[in-house]
Amino acid sequence: MHAFTGLWGPGTTRAPPAGRLLLLLLFLQAATRPSWGDPADSEFTSLPVRDEMIAKYSNLPLETHNISLTEHVSTPVEKNITLEKASKVELACQLTTSGDVNAVNVTWKQGDELLPNNFVINTTGNTVYTQYTFTIINSKQMGDYSCFFGEEKERRGTFKIKVPQLHGKNKPLITYVGDSTILMCKCEGCHPLNWTWYRMNESAQVPIDTHLDDKYVINGTYANETKLRIKQLLEDDKGLYSCHAVFQLGESEDHVELVVLSFLVPLKPFIAIVAEVFILVTIILLCEVYTKKKKQGPDDGKEFEQIEQLKSDDSNGIENKAPRLRKTESVDQ
Amino acid sequence: MAKMNRSGSATPPDGGWGWMIVAGCFLVTICTRAVTRCISIFFVEFQTYFSQDYSQTAWIHSIVDCMTMLCAPLGSVVSNHLSCQVGIILGGLLASTGFILSSFATSLKHLYLTLGVLTGLGFALCYSPAIAMVGKYFSRRKALAYGLAMSGSGIGTFILAPVVQLLIERFSWQGALLILGGFVLNLCVCGALMRPLAVKEDHSSPEQNHTCLNEKEDSKRTSPYSPFTKEWVQTCLCGSLQQEYSFLLMTDFVVLAISVLFMAYGCSPLFVYLVPYALSVGVSYQQAAFLMSILGVIDIVGNITFGWLTDRRCLKNYRYICYLFALGLDGLCYLCLPMLQSLALLVPFSCIFGYFDGAYVTLIPVVTAEIVGTTSLSSALGVIYFLHAVPYLVSPPIAGWLMDKTGSYTASFLLCGFSMVFSSVLLGFARLVKKMKRTQLQFLAKESEPKLQLWTNGSVAYSVARELDKKDEEALATAVPGYDLT
Repeated sequence: MHAFTGLWGPGTTRAPPAGRLLLLLLFLQAATRPSWGDPADSEFTSLPVRDEMIAKYSNLPLETHNISLTEHVSTPVEKNITLEKASKVELACQLTTSGDVNAVNVTWKQGDELLPNNFVINTTGNTVYTQYTFTIINSKQMGDYSCFFGEEKERRGTFKIKVPQLHGKNKPLITYVGDSTILMCKCEGCHPLNWTWYRMNESAQVPIDTHLDDKYVINGTYANETKLRIKQLLEDDKGLYSCHAVFQLGESEDHVELVVLSFLVPLKPFIAIVAEVFILVTIILLCEVYTKKKKQGPDDGKEFEQIEQLKSDDSNGIENKAPRLRKTESVDQ
Repeated sequence: MAKMNRSGSATPPDGGWGWMIVAGCFLVTICTRAVTRCISIFFVEFQTYFSQDYSQTAWIHSIVDCMTMLCAPLGSVVSNHLSCQVGIILGGLLASTGFILSSFATSLKHLYLTLGVLTGLGFALCYSPAIAMVGKYFSRRKALAYGLAMSGSGIGTFILAPVVQLLIERFSWQGALLILGGFVLNLCVCGALMRPLAVKEDHSSPEQNHTCLNEKEDSKRTSPYSPFTKEWVQTCLCGSLQQEYSFLLMTDFVVLAISVLFMAYGCSPLFVYLVPYALSVGVSYQQAAFLMSILGVIDIVGNITFGWLTDRRCLKNYRYICYLFALGLDGLCYLCLPMLQSLALLVPFSCIFGYFDGAYVTLIPVVTAEIVGTTSLSSALGVIYFLHAVPYLVSPPIAGWLMDKTGSYTASFLLCGFSMVFSSVLLGFARLVKKMKRTQLQFLAKESEPKLQLWTNGSVAYSVARELDKKDEEALATAVPGYDLT
């Protein structure tokens, strides 16, 4: 892989047509021979050659990223880059220093591996500028790329190149037996080539079969989301489900936990509250009846007396109508 | 005739079982107003489950609010004719059934019916009777009792919001609605607490009811299936309804009703548009949420403290004016709102507005009771809350439309501010006119002939001398307390 990037270093984007055929023959030969470099390269050379050719000769999008460092920096500076498709990448680092600019030793590393010297270094005044250009076409090239100024570990900038991450809810999805539910995965502004769903079954991922009796349906309205619809939920359906977004440059995944409850679960607190209400209402109404009876007990005697008095008043009152009227009405206030 | 003074004790206890009534009313306000506000927490769940957008799900909240207010008169009719306890227990059962049925809902339309209409109706049967009951049990400490009872909506929202969130997380919206239905069943407990208090009735009403009943019994004895029974029943019913709603013809009440319309129009958009307005002037989302919490908490403080304040002897006779004042100040705050463009200015605004919002909400039942008296309080409150319904429904969309048209919140806030100030000014003006008329006629009464005997401490007056005009008699009735027309 390093050999290739060495050949197609910065500046060369296209080869003339005649030269292309030659190169094609060379590549074909290389593909059939055992690998040149590290054993790790063998996987790379076994990739279909046509894809590599297409990648090399089509116009790849260009990604440019910069990191600026100052002399006294305590923590290393990091930058996150999200890539989904094969593209050309230009990483640049700039150091402003008060010391001798020419004495600064600039190195680039991918992870912990030192990259060969095919990067540009410029020094102007107090700044050291370095730029590393390469093409990313597969998942092995993803990772952390760092530029180092000098021997200190702190004077470096790291570019973290990753595929788009999926943002999912961390809360479990709660459903009931017999219900249907939709599990959703989405990522922002990305276009995966493919979405796949798996079910985690005792530390093994089982792909979900959508052709089996309509229980599972996978669809998504937009390219950046996918929905798994599960019908007729049973208690066995509970567990961890994961969705994988497949990109040209790798995969990213997300987990959703599904919890299936039976209807008895919320019924228990409900019945407890209903019982409490029933008991309270009975107690209060019984108290009311009891206090009413207590009040009515001694009062009955008084009312009886009043009735007797009024009866006697009524019988005598025919002559004394006028003054009596006044008396009762003044009492009436 | 002797039956008139047999009804029992006349004075409200102002304590004792009254505090249990206040606790019951507090719980009623929690279970109705606070639960209504917490229904909006379910909207996100409904949106994902039923795949509908926000405006469709937001209808549920509007339907519940509208039903609770529109059917408030129905609540007072039921509690007047059956009993307060039966009315509230019925309301509790209805609301609880609404929640339980909605946990089985399969579409948004089901939710409109169960969670919207049924639950709203249940709440309506509980709300105004409970508030009226507090008025019957208190007179000296009425405002404090109302303050404590009305603070339930603020405190309830505070407590219920995280609880509902937790329920949704543990049981999903179906289980949460079921458990909330159980919680709302506590309205039955409140209903059981509302022991009826035997209050002295007016002179005319028992007579009418008495004659109605007598006639009914007579006709029943002669022929139970006679066509006349239906007529008697109808006239009796019309008669008793006429009796119950006689306060509708009082000018004081009409003025109060109109002012309530304008007040309800003004106060509702703020709770909907404060956060968007704050965000538009550059306040961060968390600070805007903080403004809303301040509003809620100070609302509770305003409820209780203003209630206690207006119970003090110095302010007791001026409750009407305190109500005017709180309303007017809220309106002025609204008018100043478009000028407040930073967080430092919005915080005091929230405090002042929240305090006086709580204040006048506490005083609405008090002022109504002053105007119509305690016997008609239940029906009057039903009508007052009924008048809240349409402005509540109409005002936020109009404010939103104005905002879309003009591009800023200024127009809608100014409209609401003027509406509230107008309602306060209307009340003040009406009071002023009444006072002027009273002083005029007191003057007139003093100048009248000595033959006109008026017993000021009695309920009967014999006017021996010249006949007074009907209008003057009415005015005299208000000018000279205790004068009764025979």
